[in-house]
Amino acid sequence: MQSIILPQPADGVNAATVVRWLKRPGEHFSAGEALVELEIEDALVRLEASQSGTLATILAEARETVRVGAELARAEGMSVPAPQSEPETTMTRQPSETSGPPTTGDPGNVTPVLMPQAGNTMEEGIVVSWKVAEGDRIEVGQILCEIETDKATIEYESPDAGRLARIVAREGETIPIKQPIAFLADNDADVDAYLAAQGTTAAPATVPRAASTAGAVAAGAETRPSAGSPPVTAEGRVRASPAARKVAQQRGIDLASLGAGSGPGGRILATDVEKAKVAAAVSVDGKPIRRPMRKMRRAIGLNLQRSKQTVPHFYVRMTIDATPLFAYYRENKPRTNCTLNDCVVLAVGRAMAECPEVRSQIDGDEIVEFPHANIGIAVGVDDGLVVPVVRNVDSLTLAQLAVEAKRVVENARNGKLENIGLGNFTITNLGMFGIEEFSAIINPPESGILAVSALRETVIVEDGAIRPGRVMTMTLSADHRIVDGLVAARFLGRLKEILENPGETLT
Amino acid sequence: MTNNHFDVFVIGAGPGGYVAALRAAQMGASTGIVERHHLGGTCLNYGCIPSKALLSSAEMLHGVRHARQWGVTVDGPIGFDWQEITQHKNKILRQLRGGVASLFKARGVAHLAGHGTLDARGRVRVTPSDGPPQTVTADKVILATGSAPIRIPGWPDDPALVCTSDEGVHWTALPRRLLIVGGGVIGCEFACMMQAFGVDVTVVEMMPGLLPTLDHDLGKALLAIFKARGITCFLDTKVEDVDVASGNGAIKTRLSSGESLEFDRVLVATGRRPNTDDVGLADAGIPTDKHGFVPVNDHLETAVPGHYCIGDANGRCMLAHAASAHGVAAVENALGRPKPFESPIPSAVYTFPEVAAVGLSEREAREQGLPIAIGRFPIGHLGKAMAARHPDGFVKMIRHRETGQLLGAHMIGQNATECIAAATALLHQNVSMHDVAETVWAHPTISEAIKESAEDALGAGLHLPPRKVIRVPVPA
Repeated sequence: MQSIILPQPADGVNAATVVRWLKRPGEHFSAGEALVELEIEDALVRLEASQSGTLATILAEARETVRVGAELARAEGMSVPAPQSEPETTMTRQPSETSGPPTTGDPGNVTPVLMPQAGNTMEEGIVVSWKVAEGDRIEVGQILCEIETDKATIEYESPDAGRLARIVAREGETIPIKQPIAFLADNDADVDAYLAAQGTTAAPATVPRAASTAGAVAAGAETRPSAGSPPVTAEGRVRASPAARKVAQQRGIDLASLGAGSGPGGRILATDVEKAKVAAAVSVDGKPIRRPMRKMRRAIGLNLQRSKQTVPHFYVRMTIDATPLFAYYRENKPRTNCTLNDCVVLAVGRAMAECPEVRSQIDGDEIVEFPHANIGIAVGVDDGLVVPVVRNVDSLTLAQLAVEAKRVVENARNGKLENIGLGNFTITNLGMFGIEEFSAIINPPESGILAVSALRETVIVEDGAIRPGRVMTMTLSADHRIVDGLVAARFLGRLKEILENPGETLT
Repeated sequence: MTNNHFDVFVIGAGPGGYVAALRAAQMGASTGIVERHHLGGTCLNYGCIPSKALLSSAEMLHGVRHARQWGVTVDGPIGFDWQEITQHKNKILRQLRGGVASLFKARGVAHLAGHGTLDARGRVRVTPSDGPPQTVTADKVILATGSAPIRIPGWPDDPALVCTSDEGVHWTALPRRLLIVGGGVIGCEFACMMQAFGVDVTVVEMMPGLLPTLDHDLGKALLAIFKARGITCFLDTKVEDVDVASGNGAIKTRLSSGESLEFDRVLVATGRRPNTDDVGLADAGIPTDKHGFVPVNDHLETAVPGHYCIGDANGRCMLAHAASAHGVAAVENALGRPKPFESPIPSAVYTFPEVAAVGLSEREAREQGLPIAIGRFPIGHLGKAMAARHPDGFVKMIRHRETGQLLGAHMIGQNATECIAAATALLHQNVSMHDVAETVWAHPTISEAIKESAEDALGAGLHLPPRKVIRVPVPA
């Protein structure tokens, strides 16, 4: 494999932008043939092969700016020695972004196959056609499907080996990068458990078994509303001005949902996006607006509806004197950069260490007790929520937890959920919005969820005397199949004790 | 005075203030405005308008002098009547001032004559030149106090000898030898105009090029035109010394380049400073920066809520049309239609040929680290320019290589200040360079050069030789 590096095309030029590739991966080129055209400020640059070879991988797609000396592509069969320590991975062979270490316990070994990010600017891709079917054994490097990005259509090589248990992205469907398009697993049930545990992933779509036929494409393709559809380029990209894209991105508006714009040929202009925003806020004629649920909403809905309807919830509420907790938080904040929620998570972890029922999951007729407190933290994201899990909270210090919680939450916001399915308890905190108390729905198969409310100043009555202080109300929703009222009361009582004397336990 | 409380009160009736007052009244606010001098501010009385009145005669004179090139013969001596020219100018100014006054009347804007100063938040003291002061209060105050030309400390202050543009547009007689200190927009406009009137003009600029605030290619092109006309230009040069003491009316000057030159008059055009010293800003608690400008946010509001500052005084862009646009935006923000002001503002330089620009210059784009492609088109290649014998100049367009977005347009050539309107409208819409190239431009026009240059920036020009292609072997 040889690297094709951008040479300096002219004096004083330190970067160039790819205009187009004249050869595609897999295509043979002979000596003297032009491979790629780039532009600099005042000229075009055409890179010509000095000897024959085959283009293997393109690393800089059209419209990407590349610095002189950077790798543009890789080629095979050229007689120039490859540069040293060349990385093995290629663009289409994305490193697997599986969530957490694979465990052999429950839920079984499930590896999501994620929409790859082919190029820095790629935000989503369209699954054009599947080359494999559910149930197939997949080898590393085997072509799974064709993916159309805003720039090119690429063949997606599997980053992992295993049995393709479930395809969740239908042909013709647009999926954001780093979201699952399929799952590898030995058992279909494991995928179900995985999806249920995640609570936020795509609901499984029914895919015709005979994939990659024209009929399947037609059957599986999502149909867009036909009236006033936005103009789409041959590459499937909605035609819109750069300003419109910018505004849409800022406002979180899907350009494809806007219909034809007012620009030439229906091109969407910034003003159209502005108008759409107003339209989204108030419908013009007072009629309600109907729009399909997005995937994340649908998944949240299904998971929580199932939980609320099938899990026997009961609720235990307690208000604690949070004056010591607040003092503890203020004292440790400079050292650990912790949040108030971290302090609560840590305390819950300590209480769970003493309460095996709460460190448990339910699995059919069995109760699975975990050795450690694995706590999910509910994180609100655009149009939904995700619950990344911090493992072994009972054995972490505040400083360690602060770092770990920050990491998993940030990863979750960026689309990477950690330790999915390993949680045995969840904490949801609406305190920052001033909520005084609320109760939450359990994230199955966990034992319970703690709804943490705002820390607020109030009058505290103690030994017949009143004093000003801070209190916080916490509501435990528990699954009665695992946790009884007595256990719940003891657990909350212990938690109260820890939170009211944080200096003693939360070291 | 029956009413001394206003919804909106404006201090200064230049192009920013008077437009703000009209917009406020149009939106239904009770509006007052104070002006210590003539209505219309610098633009109408000492800037844009009087200079254009003089320039029109200068350009006509230039044309008549070169009439032979057009095959037109003029018999007899070619001259001009300075008195007639200044009378026309003064008549236009009176007419326009009267126009502003009648617009105020028509919209019910209370116009107070006098010097307005804030003496507290929401309170303005108006001191007329010939009467007792009065105090008005307002919910919203708009500061539109403008700017004044900088005079160089230590230089002779006799305005008959060492002047600024304030005096320059009202000279009753022309000098024979004129030194212009500063090769910016005002310096270049005066140089061009005075040379046409037969004045021997020398321009001294500290920076390495003329029009240093604009794209450097524009200044370069203008320099070549000036030199061909016999305007002497010293760049990278300072005027070290100005001496009026010789007695015979000659002003002796010494330049940093070593030359000692004599002039009859010196015009200082080194910039403008805001009129913010005597407006009572401190009494209202409104801070200024070290240059005296009043910092404002994107809603043009100062650090004190309800107090806005527009135009030259806020230092964002010292152009009349920027002030007017600020004025409208500030009023709309003040009256509950919040919207940040972020429109691109074109620059216009009234030399002949004219210079105009909007958006990022090549240097600015580079400083921001943007990957850019540059398109150029010489105006001399246009049929219209050849036929009309105005071949000087070019258009230069800047495009973002990755997004394709139009970033800037720069132009020198006949009617450039009119042509730039098209580029400004496109830039305001944030379009891509493809949109510029796809737009159909009338033929034959000078503005076609904008389309041609856009095509060049896309590497797709039809009326230019193919864009340079650098062929590089790889692996190198």
